[in-house]
Amino acid sequence: MKSKKLLVLLMTAALSPVSPAFAGDIDDLKQEIAKMRADYEQRIQQLEQRLSDAEATTQAVADEVATAPEAPAPVASANSSNTFNPAISMVLNGSFNQYQNHADDYTIDGFNVQGEGGLDSEGFSLGESELTVSSNIDQLFYGQATLAVHDHDDETELEVEEAFIETLGLGNGLTVRAGRYYAPIGYLNERHSHAWNFADAPLIYRGLFGNQLSTDGVKLSYLLPTDYMFEVGTSVGNGDSYPGSGDHSGIGDWLVYAKTGGDIGIESSWQAGISHWRSSPDDRSYNGGHGHSHGDEEESSAVFNGDTDITNLSLVYKWAPNGNFRQENLTLISEFMYLHDDGNIRHGTDEFANYDGKQYGGYLEGIYQFNPQWRSGVRYDWLGSKHHASDDELLADAGLEGGRSHPQRTSAMVEYLPSEFSRIRAQINHDQSYSDDDWQMILQYTVSLGAHGAHQY
Amino acid sequence: MKKLIFTVLFLLSSPAWAQLSVFACEPEWASLTEELGGDDVSVFSATSGLQDPHYIQARPSLIAKARQTDLLVCTGAELEVGWLPLLQRKAGNPNIQIGAEGYFMAADYVRLLEKPVTVDRSQGHVHAAGNPHIQTSPVNIFKVAQALTERLKQRDPEHASNYEKRWQDFQQRWQTAMKQWQEKAAPLKGVPIVVQHKNWIYLTKWLGLNEVAVLEAKPAVPPTVKQLQSVVEKLKQTPAKMVILAAYQSPRATDWLVDKTGIKKVVLPFTVGGDKNSNNLFELYDDTINLLLDGAK
Repeated sequence: MKSKKLLVLLMTAALSPVSPAFAGDIDDLKQEIAKMRADYEQRIQQLEQRLSDAEATTQAVADEVATAPEAPAPVASANSSNTFNPAISMVLNGSFNQYQNHADDYTIDGFNVQGEGGLDSEGFSLGESELTVSSNIDQLFYGQATLAVHDHDDETELEVEEAFIETLGLGNGLTVRAGRYYAPIGYLNERHSHAWNFADAPLIYRGLFGNQLSTDGVKLSYLLPTDYMFEVGTSVGNGDSYPGSGDHSGIGDWLVYAKTGGDIGIESSWQAGISHWRSSPDDRSYNGGHGHSHGDEEESSAVFNGDTDITNLSLVYKWAPNGNFRQENLTLISEFMYLHDDGNIRHGTDEFANYDGKQYGGYLEGIYQFNPQWRSGVRYDWLGSKHHASDDELLADAGLEGGRSHPQRTSAMVEYLPSEFSRIRAQINHDQSYSDDDWQMILQYTVSLGAHGAHQY
Repeated sequence: MKKLIFTVLFLLSSPAWAQLSVFACEPEWASLTEELGGDDVSVFSATSGLQDPHYIQARPSLIAKARQTDLLVCTGAELEVGWLPLLQRKAGNPNIQIGAEGYFMAADYVRLLEKPVTVDRSQGHVHAAGNPHIQTSPVNIFKVAQALTERLKQRDPEHASNYEKRWQDFQQRWQTAMKQWQEKAAPLKGVPIVVQHKNWIYLTKWLGLNEVAVLEAKPAVPPTVKQLQSVVEKLKQTPAKMVILAAYQSPRATDWLVDKTGIKKVVLPFTVGGDKNSNNLFELYDDTINLLLDGAK
């Protein structure tokens, strides 16, 4: 009963007209105001929404920055003695060599080939295996040692190639180095042979140094505060490494050098150097012109006493598109050296001659890397010499005579670089160092283990 | 006489003398230092946006610059391992030695990703410290900027208030810009991409891009055809919108893939100066996002 009544009531309410009872100006106004109010409220709401959205995103950015993980704190490890291990790297290399002539017959006319200056043995040959250990020693010093193991006349030799300490950020562009190091003469001399662009040394390096000139001594260098690099330096040593010789109680050899270099635009760079080395060899022995001295086997060899001067000029130019060496690059290197001996040659007790000799020569090489894994290059060597002795027989005894007045050599190589740490190289030489022309072929691998090598210029 | 003394004093104290000399290893740090240092610094960038920062040689001009540097700003994390130690040794400059006030390595202030579990060279050119290409995320830039401001103040206390002022200003602008970038890049979330080299991890993480394949199976070792073929197979299963690479990289591998699959190629600036639209850090991200949005279309 009750629910029926309610239903009827609801129905009447629903059907009853809701139109205004009357129309008038006041109502119109009221409506308009209401509409305006609603309009504004909507707008305000929209603005508020946008504001809060903006606040939220700003907060999100701030949060992201705040919650981005901090750099991890240094690990406080237990006391251990190996956390300060020095950088260790090992260079391994081996080669397969084929020559037309006998390796033992090798000589350079007008020069005396000593030490490691000769050819590597034919067939398979393990080259130098080099171990380099380096590290900052303390706030003042850096230290580096390179030990090389190689076979020489069927014996395995261990050689200290370099072992030096060097000041670390002494200030004002000054650096002092002491120990054994490659003399700062020329461009290639300061680099280890595995960093060269060819498997063998330029002829002039073979002829004058027996591959490389090392010094036991002290070197001082000063870098000028200029925009172009300008470095001057001097080195003094004991003077016992070829072409120096003998014991010297004080300074046995000295050297001065200047280097300068810079960029040309963004794609090219260059470096030029000049250096002068001087020593007074004491009984520097000549080994009869053969690549390997046989020590006791020879009765007695001719010896030189006097003064020796060497002047070196070097020029390096490098280019890469956009200066990006990764893809493509070109390197041109040229050096020239001039040696002057002034003194005498003695052989045994009865033969003596005043001697004035000049040996000179240079090389030019061009290397082009055409993609990250392939490089190729060519090199040309050229030498000359003039010898004056009061007795020509002694020149023959010293092995300084030769049929060819201008030994030369042309080389070409191609390299495959699987990564920054390995290299496989094939090289061909047309060698005219002495009267018999020789074709030489070298296949070589060189790899580097351990610490990342330096990208030296 | 007095006038003369004053003139001399004035000349000696000219701003050129007072500027902090900064050596930045990469252009992104040069740009950031300029933002924060303004007139108080003179900045030299050792590399350009078109150079692979790893394969730089310690050439004479860099040695000369390093000699006169008050502050070194570099990435660290082994990126410059081939040349920076040589510069430090050759420059005879105590300011830039490891641990000195003038030795600032950006990677020390962010958490590096992709720290390898096994450090072995058979895996390509891996960085033991983690992926060093931190400049591809603006979050990292923010963190580095904060730390760099402190270092600038420390190195040049005389102008500390200037650095603070510029930092406040930069911070504001950077946060606003980051907000805009994030809004704009919202459609990029989850977009599948292929990368040529593993140098985008910070960018892909920031924007939520979905990296489905890498062309260089081993970092810095050009991929073999077989490796590329496997990427093609992978893309058949999970197609990607585009393949990205940095302006300084050789496009060979990418071009091969484009040729085989018709996928879109997007060359990103990677750093300031990587292309003509990226002249500073702000433009770098503007440009990067525009290019990615184009690629995702």
